[in-house]
Amino acid sequence: MNLIEIYIQEVTRRLPEKNREDIALELQSTIEDMLPDDYREDDVKKVLEKLGSPVILARGYRDRPMYLIGPRYFDVYVTLLKMILPIAAVISLISVIAEYFMDYNGQETVINVALDIMGYGIWQMISVGIQTFFWLTLVFAVIERTDKENDNQPLTASRKKWTPDDLKNIAYIPKKKAISKLEVFGNLMWTAIWATIYFYADHLVGIYRGGGNRFEFISPAVNQEVLLQYWPIVLIVICLEIVLAIYKLIKSQWTRGMAIFNAVFQLISSIVFIEILINPEIITQYFITYMTDLLEITANQLKSWIIGGAIFFFMVSAAFNVMDGFRKSRIR
Amino acid sequence: MSNLLNSLTTELRRGTLTLAVLSQLRTPQYGYSLVQLLEGSGISIDQSTLYPLLRRLEKQELVSSNWDTSESRPRKYYVLSEYGLEIFLQLKKEWINSSKELYTLLKVEGEEENEFN
Repeated sequence: MNLIEIYIQEVTRRLPEKNREDIALELQSTIEDMLPDDYREDDVKKVLEKLGSPVILARGYRDRPMYLIGPRYFDVYVTLLKMILPIAAVISLISVIAEYFMDYNGQETVINVALDIMGYGIWQMISVGIQTFFWLTLVFAVIERTDKENDNQPLTASRKKWTPDDLKNIAYIPKKKAISKLEVFGNLMWTAIWATIYFYADHLVGIYRGGGNRFEFISPAVNQEVLLQYWPIVLIVICLEIVLAIYKLIKSQWTRGMAIFNAVFQLISSIVFIEILINPEIITQYFITYMTDLLEITANQLKSWIIGGAIFFFMVSAAFNVMDGFRKSRIR
Repeated sequence: MSNLLNSLTTELRRGTLTLAVLSQLRTPQYGYSLVQLLEGSGISIDQSTLYPLLRRLEKQELVSSNWDTSESRPRKYYVLSEYGLEIFLQLKKEWINSSKELYTLLKVEGEEENEFN
């Protein structure tokens, strides 16, 4: 006797309030229909066994979807997730690095700071990733439940049924011409690294001495005051590089326009780089003395080695970069 | 029966269940009488599927329902609506056509099997 009531309660508590009473009443009468006139607990058990698990029965009565994101939105959801998660991770890492250097007091050595950043950066990337995942999923779950036209057909850009004409809106990207997202993030990462080195050169570039388990920073190699005279033009180069990376991300393949942009950018950055390097006061006197003693060469030799070598490598890599851009943009 | 065969069979039957239920609702039926009718015709039905199905059909306005409280036990009766009858007749035609097609298909297959034996 009691079993029937408990069974009905187990079903109805999983249902929306407004249907509960009616379904309870119907279940009650159905179960009584199935029982013989003079029944015992065994009979009740047999009948309830036929009706099956209350969870499954309740599931049948519910018309809300039993999933978070259905076939209509799943594809868009996964695409967005793949796009946003790496961006969020990179931004959080960059902001961790930036934060560290804002508070940098010059006491810690670079290696220790780098290790700190790695640990904290990974932790921050994971937590930002979880946050992003949660909010994106929540938004899609809400859309899934509020979209009245949901017919479980995958969503297209025009919000209509798929036709072969939709293919015309998609650019065909040959593999050799394609720019992977990894490459773009590599570019951005590189920008972040060299910009950090530029603005904190007096803490980063210089002479280190290993002592015990810590590296000790003895003296900077460059004159930060002289270096920072160039900051407006360096900022422009940073902005151009970011614009180029975003342009690559959007187009995801090499075009003629992009190759030209790349060439102009490489030219500007080479000029700026060389202009800074040939400034006679850029290298600190202490560093020159230290190195000439160490290598037993004259100060002029050292300068021409460092500056000449740096300029040579920069020019070669810039030239290669420009040519590679033009070559890829020509591939059909 | 293997698990796969089980789930394929269930899938095969799921679509026909609506048709079977609609066919029996030309006269008003309550839940359990419908079960007995279907089982009388040899159609075994999972009851945890049937009762929710009846409600869904009602929501889709294919059947209408009313409570009969004149007897000792109140019962909810379901009957085909006008719209439901229309849909049922079309669905029936579809079913007969497709089962004919499938039968032809399977018959050819059957003959080939016989040749091998």
